[in-house]
Amino acid sequence: MKNRILIVDDSFYMRTMLKNMLTDAGYEVVGEAANGQQALEMAAATRPDLITLDVILPDNTGLDVLKGIREDQPDVKVVMCSAVGQEVIVNEALESGATAYIVKPFSEEKVLEIVGSALQTSGSSEA
Amino acid sequence: MKSREEEYREIFMVEALEYYDAMSRHISELEKNPADAAALNELFRLMHNLKANARAMGYPAISEVAHRMETIFGLIRDKERTFEGNVVPVLFTGVDTIGEMIRAVGAGNELPSADTLLANLDRLVNGEEPILEDQPEADDDDANRKLELSDLVYIQIKKLDHLMNLVGELIIDRDRILTLSKESDSPALQATAAHLFRISDELQYSIMDVRLVNVGSLFNKFPRVVRDVAAAEKKDIALEVDGQDIQIDRNILQIITDSLLHLVRNAIGHGIEAPAVREQAGKPAQGQLTLAAQTERDNVLIQVSDDGAGINVDSVRRKAVERGLVSAEAAQQLDDDAVRAFLFEPGFSMAKEITDISGRGVGLDVVKLAIDSLGGQLRVSSTLGKGTTFTLVLPTSIAVKGALLFELDARSYAIPLMHTDSVVSLQPEDLHVVGGLLLAEVQDENVPVVDLRRLLHNGDGPLPPANRHELQGRQDIIIVNYNNRKLGLIIDRFLRQQSIVIKPMSKPLDTIDLFGGVTLLGSGQVCLVLDVPALTRLFLAKRP
Repeated sequence: MKNRILIVDDSFYMRTMLKNMLTDAGYEVVGEAANGQQALEMAAATRPDLITLDVILPDNTGLDVLKGIREDQPDVKVVMCSAVGQEVIVNEALESGATAYIVKPFSEEKVLEIVGSALQTSGSSEA
Repeated sequence: MKSREEEYREIFMVEALEYYDAMSRHISELEKNPADAAALNELFRLMHNLKANARAMGYPAISEVAHRMETIFGLIRDKERTFEGNVVPVLFTGVDTIGEMIRAVGAGNELPSADTLLANLDRLVNGEEPILEDQPEADDDDANRKLELSDLVYIQIKKLDHLMNLVGELIIDRDRILTLSKESDSPALQATAAHLFRISDELQYSIMDVRLVNVGSLFNKFPRVVRDVAAAEKKDIALEVDGQDIQIDRNILQIITDSLLHLVRNAIGHGIEAPAVREQAGKPAQGQLTLAAQTERDNVLIQVSDDGAGINVDSVRRKAVERGLVSAEAAQQLDDDAVRAFLFEPGFSMAKEITDISGRGVGLDVVKLAIDSLGGQLRVSSTLGKGTTFTLVLPTSIAVKGALLFELDARSYAIPLMHTDSVVSLQPEDLHVVGGLLLAEVQDENVPVVDLRRLLHNGDGPLPPANRHELQGRQDIIIVNYNNRKLGLIIDRFLRQQSIVIKPMSKPLDTIDLFGGVTLLGSGQVCLVLDVPALTRLFLAKRP
């Protein structure tokens, strides 16, 4: 069974790029959310294995979304997507339960490496 | 086929221009109210996105400017700087420069130099005073600046409807002119008519194209619906959405919105079982709901599938007998598809208890009516214990429909292709009479056949029992299909297949539901368009 991924980013450009990279690598992208509200809704509805989560979103910050998702789904893997200069937020995200992070602009190799190893981390409830 | 690189570039440009417009708007708001927190947050976010996208796309110059602007807006947001004094013109120049750079990328020009700006932005970051150029010159620039308008326009659907209607009229006149030109012996008129044909054809398709939207614009509303309904019904459901890129006329999508909502609610309320029941049946506790779209020839297929309990054909059969829709004996002879078709009868509900979510409001009959009104088809397939799939077969566009033209009593009629299954020519000996009904074997299936003339002109009573010996010579028969029911119509002569523009009947004729409308043929002749659902109902009511 393919691993199912939800992409959260307010930029259509970033979402498209991530989606292509992940789909090409054989993952199933189950949804794309452009803001925090959508992210929470789609995470609840699609129950993905992994979420790529942009740290800056129009309505909530990525951190609030992370906390919201964690309350509901303790086992989903969350990879934070940040740009340089956001180390503080990234650290806080890791403390709040993010599995890993990627720094934009990202290369395909890097994305696949981080997503792949995030999916392997323990704590998964799946049999 | 566009390369991925080109696709990325196009997306980057569209989004960057949107960002630029939003930045210009928000920085003006900030000028009016320097404490506008929402504007500040947006400016910060937009700069952040532009920075990341430009870097990924390989425009470091844009990224550099956006990065510094982001930093400064961040500082202002955190109250470490204020949006006042010399900070203001520098940041305005920053937004303008970003606009120039994006346009330069779009035009394939070299990007303007931003060295002065970058130096000033660095000064602001470091808390130093920026060095501004001569003020009057800057004002001059501002005053002479050209206003840039977006390449996108928003159009009210009403205006597109009007355009579409006008094109419909145009097509009718065009066909008339084309016919007249063929009758004349003027080569110039014929050539002009042929040109008019091509141009108006292209105009029609261009307008149809403008009205197309992605099915995704509706599908994307469903994750929320599914979550809410699943929570209320205490079900665990994963939604899968497929084919969001398929395009369809915006009004068709509007008309099927409620239907789709109903089918999804039904699937969750009645289709998919409670987690405990599923586990007992050896299924995963989480139910699977799929919304999918695909194109099939000229149609768009939208499917709502669940992996729930499926439809129990025997209970539907029993219910149909209870409600007097069919006699007990006849019910036993109906195949599963025919039995499931009862689900679309008015007021037919299989729900044992009315739940808040799915037991109220529209029933499947209303869904069926909505799809019928579009000239579409609603189908259901189901396997007991495995799940149910509802399929909506929809036209891509409403205005023009493919139709089969035929003649009956020297008049032309049209039947939408959406409802025609096949056309056959049979000798009387190929037809059988069973229970007063003519039957033809078409593709291994016994299809009732009726003389259309009789059906239309028989008055209110039931049809007289069929008699094979009344038929003389080869019979042209159109097999129509509605709600999984096939019916053969004996007509005088097939004419041709043609795209037609259907005009609704005007009052008081609009109450005659046997005819879905009229169309004008190139000959100027009025042609009635038969409504297959109404015709099928009429046949069922009058069958001997």
